[in-house]
Amino acid sequence: MKPSSSLRLQGLRKSYGSNEVLRGLDLEIAPGSFVGLIGANGAGKSTLIKILDGVTPKSTGKIFLDDKVVDSLRDRTEVAFVHQDLGLVDGISIADNFRLGQAPLRKFGVLVDLQRERAEAADALERVGVERSPDTLVEALSPAEKTLVAIARAFARGATFLVMDEATSNLTPRGAKRVIDVLSSVVADGGTVIMVTHRLSEIIEATSRVVALIDGRIAHDAETRHLDREGLARMLVNQDSVLSEEDITEPGDVVFRMTGARAWPNVGPIDLEIRSGEVVGITGNQGSGLHAIGLLANGAVAPSHGTVWFADGVESALVPPHRETEGGFSDQTILENMTLSSLRLFRGRSRSLDLNAESDAGHTMVKRLKVKPAAADAMFGSLSGGNKQKVIFARAILSGAKFLVLCEPTRGVDPATRTEIYQLIRDLRASGAAILVVSSDSEDLLAVSDRVGVAIGGKLEHMTPLSHLEDEGLEAFV
Amino acid sequence: MTTSVDAAAESSTPHERSETPLPPPALPPKTGWRAVTSSRVFQGLISPVAFLITFAAFGLWQGSNFLNVASRVLDLHSNSPVLILGLSVMVTLLAGQFDLSVASMTTLTAYLTVGLVVNYSWPFWLVLVFALLIGSLGGLLNGLLVTKFGINTFIATLGTGGVFLGASSILSTGSSIVPTADAPLPTWFTGLGSFGTFTTKVPLVFTLITVLVLLVTAHVSAQRLRPHGPASRRWLIAEAVVGVVVILVAVIGHSWLQQITWPVLLLLAIATGLWIMFRLTVTGRNITAVGSNPLAARLAGVRTEREIVKAFIIGGLLASVAGIVLAAQQGSASPDVATGFLLPAFAAAFLSTVVFSAGRFSVWGTVIGGSFLLWVGQGLIVGGLPFTWLSLVNGAVLIVAVAASTLLRRERR
Repeated sequence: MKPSSSLRLQGLRKSYGSNEVLRGLDLEIAPGSFVGLIGANGAGKSTLIKILDGVTPKSTGKIFLDDKVVDSLRDRTEVAFVHQDLGLVDGISIADNFRLGQAPLRKFGVLVDLQRERAEAADALERVGVERSPDTLVEALSPAEKTLVAIARAFARGATFLVMDEATSNLTPRGAKRVIDVLSSVVADGGTVIMVTHRLSEIIEATSRVVALIDGRIAHDAETRHLDREGLARMLVNQDSVLSEEDITEPGDVVFRMTGARAWPNVGPIDLEIRSGEVVGITGNQGSGLHAIGLLANGAVAPSHGTVWFADGVESALVPPHRETEGGFSDQTILENMTLSSLRLFRGRSRSLDLNAESDAGHTMVKRLKVKPAAADAMFGSLSGGNKQKVIFARAILSGAKFLVLCEPTRGVDPATRTEIYQLIRDLRASGAAILVVSSDSEDLLAVSDRVGVAIGGKLEHMTPLSHLEDEGLEAFV
Repeated sequence: MTTSVDAAAESSTPHERSETPLPPPALPPKTGWRAVTSSRVFQGLISPVAFLITFAAFGLWQGSNFLNVASRVLDLHSNSPVLILGLSVMVTLLAGQFDLSVASMTTLTAYLTVGLVVNYSWPFWLVLVFALLIGSLGGLLNGLLVTKFGINTFIATLGTGGVFLGASSILSTGSSIVPTADAPLPTWFTGLGSFGTFTTKVPLVFTLITVLVLLVTAHVSAQRLRPHGPASRRWLIAEAVVGVVVILVAVIGHSWLQQITWPVLLLLAIATGLWIMFRLTVTGRNITAVGSNPLAARLAGVRTEREIVKAFIIGGLLASVAGIVLAAQQGSASPDVATGFLLPAFAAAFLSTVVFSAGRFSVWGTVIGGSFLLWVGQGLIVGGLPFTWLSLVNGAVLIVAVAASTLLRRERR
């Protein structure tokens, strides 16, 4: 392998409007290093990767590649990005995937030189240890093999500097190990790897250096061999967001209970009790059945076995995980979106709707949640992500439900709105609601929960009061 | 050349909070014509203005042949089954479904209304109840096929349409049914001076009651647009002015109102009823929500399958009402009497998405769009176009109107 490149960031900043996501990063990565990049969701990792990849422009600061100033690393043949979405096309062969977006290799000027294409692909596959013919369809590969094919493709195109953006988070531990072994051998050959991951064990086993981002700053930058898991976990927790002492109140009666509840073939059995005035938070990776558990608890999905029980008079409301597709009605107004679940409360004696009362309730909610624009007749579809989320919250609150399932409450929401949403959840808790927060962002749990748990393979594990969460336990959540 | 392994570089983990706080892209300020075409007022006015211009053009062309209240009300009168069918279609469209069987249901119920009296001597009140029941059951069948059995709405309603049409064809053995002296239809229902004829006008008081109900509903429904705070007072004044103008128009134009026939009044009453349902009842709002985003509606606690079934039942019921009105107007029934109604009914419903430029199906949009459609056709026929061209005109108007509104809306983005 030819010598790899060095990367240097100087005072790199990024703001979206008034919100500063990256607050001045200075970082130097020497050729031949294996750097793990960690940080809770929202810490700015993803923004950093996007800037490096040229998806988003930086606000200020400089990026140097081999001491030359560049705008981004896009269009640099020596650098390649492997994202969680690998960019492979399932229905065509490995060799064809290698040539995607490239000019075909020609023979006699017109014919595609299939033999050479196949031979190049075969070479690259051998380097990453995938024993497959280049003619194999990508859909026939295991997830780990697909990731390796994506890496092989990067090498075939001349990359020596790899940025792995959560590319291992969907793999089984064994698959991830196989990928990481290949990455280690790349580094041993003089290549450079930056790996973004949530898995602390991967960092400890493979990397030589750890960089932790918190709130858009480099909070820690250390050699890996001086660290253990607890130290890593502690790096990631933003202590400010944990419930303060005065928020701790005694929960009331049990209003919700799941007993041996199962749904689909792979979710459950789950046992869970939630009291009024209590917030339970659960997190998990993609494919852990996290959202399915939320839907099951809400009653949107009926259990195939076991029971889901609500106390008398307790209704359940849901903030769905995928706001854009299942959250709201883009061709209807904010008001109509807010009141859909509570229409029966606005029904007068004649059973027809009291539009005045409905409108008043909507306007009150718009004010309380600071929805922008503050006009209840604005179309939902024209709102920003954070405001859409507020409208969906308003719908759940207006329904008067005493049990709320809040899925991904802060996904795609700016930090200021995030703080508002946390406060809203604490207010709901104080008013005696029982709340289940279902979020792949562990910061949500640490900010508002009384008890936390992790969804693993469709089951709930590590159910612990937040105050008892020790450092070892914490690792499961970051 | 990019070496990004991920071809779709935009994709990233969906969990990051930094994903959407993008500020709205700084658009260059719109100037001149673009500023006009992209304003909301212009968008809202464009279709009504286009309708008025078309209407005025016909008036200039044909003079009093076209600008003739009696003739235009006659168009409404003789096409009221089509317009009622348009409302039937609109209800299912609003629920995110569509019902291709309604025209066949209209044929079947028109046949039953005449046939059960003539061939089986049923008492007439029972015939009416039975026809409405068949319409509702047909809608229920469609609804269950779509929700419980998960059959594609296109296939399901195409199939049941064949069944309904086949049923009327079998019962009539393929020939028309004409009442006889032994088994006549009631004289209040059809024939000279009855419900179904153009010469019988509705007493003014009924028309005025309908107008009044409309005004009250409009007032109640407009409450949700009422601004909160100090602007609220100005809003009330504006509303009062509009109300007074409408009442003045009704008084000055009472000679028009006296042209209104029973089928036209029935059409207005049905439209008012549907409007009240969609604005002021939980069912109506739920149906709209299901049509807008079924998954979101389900997760918000709406029982989507039940709402869809309700929409189909209302659609079937209205189709049977259209059949009964048709029987009254014709005084007889033939096995394919309403087959040609499907296109104009769908056209009326789809034109409603253009009328107020909101892109949503609406009750009054359907009535206005449907009326426009048949006036355009009728104007061309009066102007000398052979009536065989009517279907072509209907299809062309539908496509042009909807395409124009789609283009305008795209421009606005």
